[in-house]
Amino acid sequence: MAKKDKRMSIQEAVQLINDGDMITFSGFTIWRRPMAIVYEMVRQRKKNLHLIEVNSGTHGEVLIGAGCVKVLETCWIGHELYGKVGANAARKLKSGELLIEDYSHVHMIMRFAAGAMGVPYLPTRASLGTDILNPQYDVLGKYGLRDGSNPRIPRRKFEFLADPFFGEQGDIIHVPAARPNVCIAHVQQVGDEGTVRVFGQRYSDAEAIKAADKVIVVAEEIVPEEVIRQEPTANLIPHYLVDAVIEQPWGAHPTGCFGYYEVDGQFIRDFYNKTRTQEGFDAWAEEWILKVNSFDEYLYKIGFRRLDTLRANSSYKYSTRVKRGA
Amino acid sequence: MRNNHSPAQPGEYKLIELLAVAGAREIQDGEVVFAGTGLPMLAVTLAQKTGAPRASIIYEAGSMDGRPAHLPSSVGDARCEYRASVSSGLFDVFGQLQRGVVDLAFLGGAEIDRYGNVNTTAIGGDYYHPAVRLTGSGGNPDINSLARRTVFIMVQEKRRFKEQVDYVTSPGWRVKKWPGGEWVTRREAFGSAFRGGPVAVITSMAVFRFDEETGEMYLDTVHPGVTVEDVENNVGFDLDVSRCRGETPPPTYHELYLLRNVIDPEGLFLGR
Repeated sequence: MAKKDKRMSIQEAVQLINDGDMITFSGFTIWRRPMAIVYEMVRQRKKNLHLIEVNSGTHGEVLIGAGCVKVLETCWIGHELYGKVGANAARKLKSGELLIEDYSHVHMIMRFAAGAMGVPYLPTRASLGTDILNPQYDVLGKYGLRDGSNPRIPRRKFEFLADPFFGEQGDIIHVPAARPNVCIAHVQQVGDEGTVRVFGQRYSDAEAIKAADKVIVVAEEIVPEEVIRQEPTANLIPHYLVDAVIEQPWGAHPTGCFGYYEVDGQFIRDFYNKTRTQEGFDAWAEEWILKVNSFDEYLYKIGFRRLDTLRANSSYKYSTRVKRGA
Repeated sequence: MRNNHSPAQPGEYKLIELLAVAGAREIQDGEVVFAGTGLPMLAVTLAQKTGAPRASIIYEAGSMDGRPAHLPSSVGDARCEYRASVSSGLFDVFGQLQRGVVDLAFLGGAEIDRYGNVNTTAIGGDYYHPAVRLTGSGGNPDINSLARRTVFIMVQEKRRFKEQVDYVTSPGWRVKKWPGGEWVTRREAFGSAFRGGPVAVITSMAVFRFDEETGEMYLDTVHPGVTVEDVENNVGFDLDVSRCRGETPPPTYHELYLLRNVIDPEGLFLGR
């Protein structure tokens, strides 16, 4: 059987994403986020997206600031050391343009694990006694989104049950599966048929990719399948789970990519400082997204010198030349 | 006679150095520690180079017992993985946490109440329309609820030390049992999952601990140069100061040398 060629352009890949889709991502806070795709989503003016993420970060802030997002389900949004909160999310929450559903980190990873293994929920004991479990703070419920009309939104935020097997005391919380339409991943290598290899920490990539119906993979390098299959234990995702493959070096900038480049902290801090207001965000987006026609053009604007400083040392897997401290 | 292990004098160290040292002294050798970004990284690394060389650290992005050559800037940083025992992902490390392998957690918070309930989610207004929306929980409540001991590191301000926090992101010694919302002890809410809870709050002014019976916070030590009255003026509830043991022990010259020249020579968290 002839294999379908999964290689496509960033523009084509973003056309696979529909307005209103539930979306998740690879990475962790400011690491290995698919920024090249995120910028193109802003250019193509995606609307009413429902982000569901173990944790969010700079990529989420860009999409939210641009008005692409209606719902954010997550445990966290910010920029680590380079911006202490998600200022765009905070602003749009206050204006009523964005709903934020709070879960904890464990709740979210269990939700994705359930989605990845095809069960409707999983149990956990994390975060008992917190307002995350307060039924009055069920945001999607309060806004009438748990009525079953969207099959991807569970009818309840949590369920409390007693342990039926060992008779242990105390509540077991059941968290509903995450069932996103699309996972957008940025990884180091992908085979030309779609086999994914991740270097360094895998964060929640496997669960996020397996929970989604459609998988878009952007890689620093597309490599021959026959080469990536020489060491299958190093691979994370089989080719048949992947729908689209794009090669885009530096495609996670300004977030970091283990073994390839550092987080561009200065760039993220500048984004954070400039996008506290909507006017500020709009000006930033005009400069860095709308006035550049492609990610390559964005990289030219960043400049060789800066990218070269961020480039990882091949032994340490991070840059030893970037200035990080005060 | 002064030597490398003598306490440094006021003016010879920065507040953040005192906090890192106070944090490091909470760690016992051989413990498994789950820590977040920033000060906790300084504290754990310092402990590994002084009294607790066999302490292991788990960072929530997925690295176990890394021995960084350069201080990581966040838990997702490639630096966390340098000489790590295992590097994997969230499902693995949070599973281990829930399984019960973690002795000690280091966490932060924006607000705290007398029972050690911490808020990192939203302040002011109501939850749906907050005056200030923060990052959200991250792993804070998971780590705090599943480790044996938790140490919080925070800024000391009256508006942060409140009778009741605006949103309980991370559980203290008296919590609400959901879905009903009745106040109960942590032990009652957690049942068989109870392992312990917050044992210390290290702030910019003092170190606080919690009464084993009532779960209420009390003043343990004040930092050099800070008075008990200063602390009381920066706490928004009636604070038990009767058990104050005196001053927080300052850093030694050796600890300062390690922090400045070995652990954070780039000034990532210590500044210049």
